[in-house]
Amino acid sequence: MTRSVWKGPFVDGYLLKKADTSRASGRNEIIKIWSRRSTILPQFVGLTFGVYNGHKFLPVQVNENMVGHKFGEFSPTRTFTGHSSDKKAKRG
Amino acid sequence: MARIAGVNIPTNKRVKISLRYIFGIGPAKSEEICTRLAIPESRRVNQLSDDEVLRIRELIDREYRVEGDLRRETAMNIKRLMDLGCYRGLRHRRGLPVRGQRTHTNARTRKGKAVAIAGKKKVTK
Repeated sequence: MTRSVWKGPFVDGYLLKKADTSRASGRNEIIKIWSRRSTILPQFVGLTFGVYNGHKFLPVQVNENMVGHKFGEFSPTRTFTGHSSDKKAKRG
Repeated sequence: MARIAGVNIPTNKRVKISLRYIFGIGPAKSEEICTRLAIPESRRVNQLSDDEVLRIRELIDREYRVEGDLRRETAMNIKRLMDLGCYRGLRHRRGLPVRGQRTHTNARTRKGKAVAIAGKKKVTK
């Protein structure tokens, strides 16, 4: 079920403030966030976020293709390294 | 023989049915096409006049995305997800279910046929 359009995209408010201050400071540093549930907005494009995955902050460089996705989608929470006898172990 | 939208040649079936042989046209769209061109439901493909065939062909060319174009579009959408590095893309890359289904059991459509675990001890009596 998609979200109603009239509500607009969901973003935790403090992200906007964080993004603004980071833009104003000019330095491109990683903005640590816990809010995996927030939608990536056009004004976040170009910034780098550290998205918490329950363990550490994974750096996510936002580009315009990512707009409309959620931050959490780019920071996997599970590590599966494959089964012991499986020859081709995939994920790191 | 009627060629509509590339390779499809479904004949001697009702128009509404045979249009569905085109990739990208299902029950709803074939019905829509028939009503828009005022083709009666009982008409079969080999009873269509040349003019009607032409009109169907033009309508589909103009307003529907079918066959190669549609396949390309879906492939592009999947490729976009994979290049983006998002969760859905990862699932596509690994050939696992994308929409949160369980993988403990089932998920055979995505995972393909079950393979025996290599190196697992066989139960011997």
